[in-house]
Order: sequence, then C-alpha cells, then structure tokens
Amino acid sequence: MQRPRTGIFGLTGCAGDQLVVLNCEDQLLTILTILDVRDFLMASQANDTECGLDIALVEGSVSSREDEARLKAIRSRSRLLVAIGTCAVWGGIQAMDRDHDRSQLLNTVYGPSGRAFDTLPARPVGSVVQVDYSIPGCPIEKDEFLRAMSNILNGDPPIPVTTPVCVECKFRENSCLLQEHGAMCLGPVTAGGCAARCPSMNTACIGCRGPSRDANLASAVELYRSKGFSDTDIANRLRTFAPLLASSGDDEVDRDAPLVARGGKT
Amino acid sequence: MTKTIHVNHLARVEGHGGIRIELDGNTVSSVQFQAFEGARLVEGLLAGRRYEDVAAIVSRVCAICSTAHTLTSLKATEEALGIEVTEQTVALRNLMFLGENIESHALHLFLLAAPDYLGYPGAGAMATDFRDTIATGLRLKKLGNTVQEAIGGRAVHPVNAVLGGFAALPRLDTLIRLRDDLRAGLRDAAAAIDFLASLPDIDCGQVDCCFAAKHAGDGPSYYTGTEITIAGRDGSKRFDVTDYRSVFDETTVPYSHAKLNRRDGKPFMVGALARLVIHPRRLTGRSRRAAEKLGLSVPSGNPLDNNKAQAVELVLDIEQAALMVDRILDVGLTEEPRKRVESRPGRATAVTEAPRGLLIHSYTYDGEGRIAAADIVTPTAMNAASIEQHLRQAVMESTDRSREVLTRKLEMVARAYDPCISCAVHVVSGK
Repeated sequence: MQRPRTGIFGLTGCAGDQLVVLNCEDQLLTILTILDVRDFLMASQANDTECGLDIALVEGSVSSREDEARLKAIRSRSRLLVAIGTCAVWGGIQAMDRDHDRSQLLNTVYGPSGRAFDTLPARPVGSVVQVDYSIPGCPIEKDEFLRAMSNILNGDPPIPVTTPVCVECKFRENSCLLQEHGAMCLGPVTAGGCAARCPSMNTACIGCRGPSRDANLASAVELYRSKGFSDTDIANRLRTFAPLLASSGDDEVDRDAPLVARGGKT
Repeated sequence: MTKTIHVNHLARVEGHGGIRIELDGNTVSSVQFQAFEGARLVEGLLAGRRYEDVAAIVSRVCAICSTAHTLTSLKATEEALGIEVTEQTVALRNLMFLGENIESHALHLFLLAAPDYLGYPGAGAMATDFRDTIATGLRLKKLGNTVQEAIGGRAVHPVNAVLGGFAALPRLDTLIRLRDDLRAGLRDAAAAIDFLASLPDIDCGQVDCCFAAKHAGDGPSYYTGTEITIAGRDGSKRFDVTDYRSVFDETTVPYSHAKLNRRDGKPFMVGALARLVIHPRRLTGRSRRAAEKLGLSVPSGNPLDNNKAQAVELVLDIEQAALMVDRILDVGLTEEPRKRVESRPGRATAVTEAPRGLLIHSYTYDGEGRIAAADIVTPTAMNAASIEQHLRQAVMESTDRSREVLTRKLEMVARAYDPCISCAVHVVSGK
C-alpha cells in the first residue's frame, strides 16, 4: 500500500499548528515513515509543489491574494484537505479586523506604505475552498491531531469533539469559574477537546478553540450580562478567535446573528 | 549585465520570506531580505482591549516565541498599571524563558540549520543517515517543551502566566521529574555539541558587526532587566529600553512587510551571538568548554557563528534550568492570592531576550484599563538590516560564482539568524 502523499502548509498565522506537528517529538520519525511528506516548506528545502497529494494539512487564515491563490492550488492538487488550527477553521485573532476600519488599521501599523500591500480581511480556509475535515485549536492539541491522522490513514473521518469545554471541566471536578467566581469564562460556548486546560489551572477559558457545536451564543451573552459584564467586553471576548455574532458597528451585540463568520468588508 | 538571485520562498525558517540579490557585473547593486508574511495588524487590533486580554492575544504573534511574547507583554502591562510580582514569579518566568530557548535552539539547530551543513534538504532526509543525531535533537527540543508545559501550562501559547503571577503553581512531582529530565538532558546536550562540532565550517563571509543585547537584573536572565547595550567597533552605548525609539532608527521598505532597524545608520545584530558578545562572562565550565569545542570566539563577524552561539546557550540553559528547579524545590513554592488590578492610565516599555534576540513590548493604557496604543519590536525586525549586510558580504566574498552554491550560502546566512518572519512583520508606523 502506497504511503499517503502529504503536504503541510501555512497561510497567514503564527505557524503554531505546524509547530505542534513538529512537537510530536516521540512520534515524528515514525510519522515520517508512515506519511510520504512531499511539500513542507517549514521543514524542507526540497518540496514538490506540483504533485498530487492525498492529504493536505493547512494552517492559517486567508489574508492576502497570495494566500488565496496558494490555497486554491493546494485544494486542486489534494484529495483531502484538512484545516488545522483556529485560524484556518475560524479566522483566528486576525479576524478581529472585522471590528475595525481596516484601512485605518493598515495605516496605524504600516503607515501610507501599507496601502500597497497585498492584504485582505482574514477569512477561514473554508470560506475559500471546500474543506474535508477541520481540527480547531490555538494551537491544535497534539493528541487530537495524532488521533485524527490515525483515523484518516484508516480511511475514517476524524471524530470531532461536539461538547463544550464545560463538560470536560465537570469531568475534572473543577469549581466553576463563571458561577462561583464570576469570571467571564467562555467554556459554555467553546469547543471541547482541550480537557478544560485553562479552567483547570484557575484561569477562564478564552475560547481559543472556537465555538462548540450548537453553541448558544444568545444565552451566553445574557449570562455574562447578568454577571455584570459590559456588552463591549462581552463582544470583545467572544470575537477574539472567531468573528462570532454580527457586529452592527456600535458595540450592540446582535442576539439573532448566526454563528458562522460573515464575510468581511475590504 | 545584471544577474539576479531570487529565493522566492525561503525554506526551513518560520514564516514566509524570500531573498533577492541583484548583481551588476561584480557589484552587488541590490540586497533584499523580503518578509512577506501576511499582515495581521495585531498592534492595531489591540486598541480598546482591556489589560487582562492583551497577553493572550499577543502570544499569537508567534508560536515558537509565544512564551516570550506572553511574558514580555505581562511585564509591560504590570509596569504600566503598577502591579508588582514576587521573586517566586520572576524565578518561574525565568524558567519558562529557559525552556523556550532550549526548545527553539534545538528545533533550529537540528531541524532547520544542520541539514544545510551536510547537504540534506531537510531533517527528514537527514534522519535516514543520522537517525540517532536527529533523535537527540528531538529529545532536546522536547525537553524545552516539557519545561514550558510544566510552568506555563502549555508549550505553544502558555495559559498559566497571568498578570501578577501564575494562575496555578506546578506540582512537586512535576518539578522533581523536570529536574531529572534536565539533568539527563545535559548528556544529550553534550552529544549535540559533539555532533555540531563535527560539522564543516562553511565560509559565508565576515562583516564587522554591531551587536545589541539586554542586561539582566540579578544574574544571567532572559526575562529580568530593563537596559540594553549596543556595541560595535566604534564604541558602545547602554540605555534604558524606554528610550528605544530614539536609539533605533526604523525605516520601511517597499519590498518587505518588516521594517529595517539601524543605529547611527549601521545595522546591528541581536540573538545568541549578540548575547555572548555583550556578556562573554556568562559562560561557565560546561558551556565554556562547549564554545571551545565548537571553535567559537567572540566577537565574530561570521553570521554562521550564531548557530554555534545557540548551541552553547543550549548547554548553558539546560544547566541553569536544572539549577533553578533545584533552588525552587529547596525553597518551595507559595500559593499567592490573585493580584487586584486597578485600571489607571499608564505607559510602559518592557524588554526581554527571546531566543532570536531582543523583544520589546510597549503599551499605553487609558483610564479604563484599555489599550490606547501598542508597539511590538521583534528580534527579527531588528535583524533585518543586518541580515542584508551579511547577505551582501556573502556574495562579495564568494569566490564561487555558481548560482547554486551561492544561493545555498545565502540561504544559510539567512537561516543562521533563525529568522521568525511572523514576528518580523509586526511594526507600527510613524514614530
């Protein structure tokens, strides 16, 4: 049986998910015998940028025309495309740009020269191409990644975690930071799979894995309001890793807004 | 006749970048280190965010240096808002920095840089002939991650470091295991030095350089301290980081998303080599012997010596981390109540030594505890001009005009800086 031809790619991001792949130190050499890694710029000089791939792992958001072109090329040569990491799945921190006037942002950061840069509002990979599997996380969890790869190599889809962080927090018998300590913990609406790492270390969940399936954002907003948090801070927190909730532009949180990210204005 | 050498997508570096050289006969007419990683505009996105949200956001500037970004951010916010931290917190943060340095240097030396010296396209190919060596490198890399996980809660984007200290203290059994791992790591480090010392010396040219590094508060430390020394053949200057805008001249260039930094019109280098040049007395027993084995003497105008300097730091940092864990186990850890933070307007600049060099975070907070302005100056942004000067020298001193050989050398020069291009593109205009 032929080894699956694999490519590992980064669009715009911090390279954290590619780093997690390299952080599988105990398994890495074995992984390299199982996968036929053909295109991985961060790790190799000799990359076949044209060949067909069985599996493409893509990290990062689409933040430029160059990203868009590269992503489409990756999609067209790959049998399976797996979006890895919250930037690829949801947009990541750079998708907070929806809350700002982007041209003003560019000017603040780069000055007038910024106008000439190839730069677009951040979008998840799935907004541009068809995605076969998504593995969220900021960064992805090593275990979840290895399990997902095992599944894929066996011809099965990875099994995503569909319950929120709260479930894992309860399993670990943590005291509830939200209910008992009044912290704005995003556990109720954040995708589990991290074993509630942050609340287990006495620090509120910041939602870095993106929203959980069926996250009830409207209810969460009411809950945080009842704890005394302002709409500005609630919206800020909820929109840090994924542009959840439509922004009407004046910090009003739209309770009926759909869960998925809306396209950004240029 | 113009000849162009263009490396479109530089491999085996963090982030997206390229090199472009133009030769007019025997003259180098243009040198460009191009950082074209996408613009995420993080400094702009921070505007209006409350103080407790900042560190986790800036952590995402970079994965390999996420510990440095997180802790430097906390340091700056704490100073701006008048939050004090205990010696225990400082010790634990120092330890996190050591872990990060160990992981980053091991990653860079074994997975990114070493293949070039032996003619391999990457570590995967190299592992077919050098399996034990790569395995040693991976163990050292893992050791660095283990330190970061033990203290910071997670290796990439730590979760446990918060304003005023730590959300949870590491457990005793975790620290004991960590100490054992670090002591065992010294053996791997020695093997690493032997391997790296066996690599051929490759001549990529020499340039008389300026170097810049931070001073530690008490004792050698990547985390503590506020002063920077920049030194070259013409003299040296020691200054407080709050003055950095008047000391460093930053310019934008059309071919890169990173700015170029210079001092008095001259490029300067930051990173492991710079740290050894500015603080040569850091080296003790093992690390001094490692430097001798590698044939490293400072100061050095050879960019590839940054690799040797990283190897020396690998030894030094494992040793120091082991001592530090010992000390923590002796003294014990004390639970500290969460600090009360009061919003007030404030402004502060913090500096640390990330694996690649000086890292500066500067924040201005308004009266409600929200960011009014933020500036992040990363080591690779500081190195960009110096990278170009070394690239130029590599071309000028190269007797071999074969495009292939010259291109490989240029890549080795760029890689020796261990550039982190995701970091480099974080800039703020108009200063």
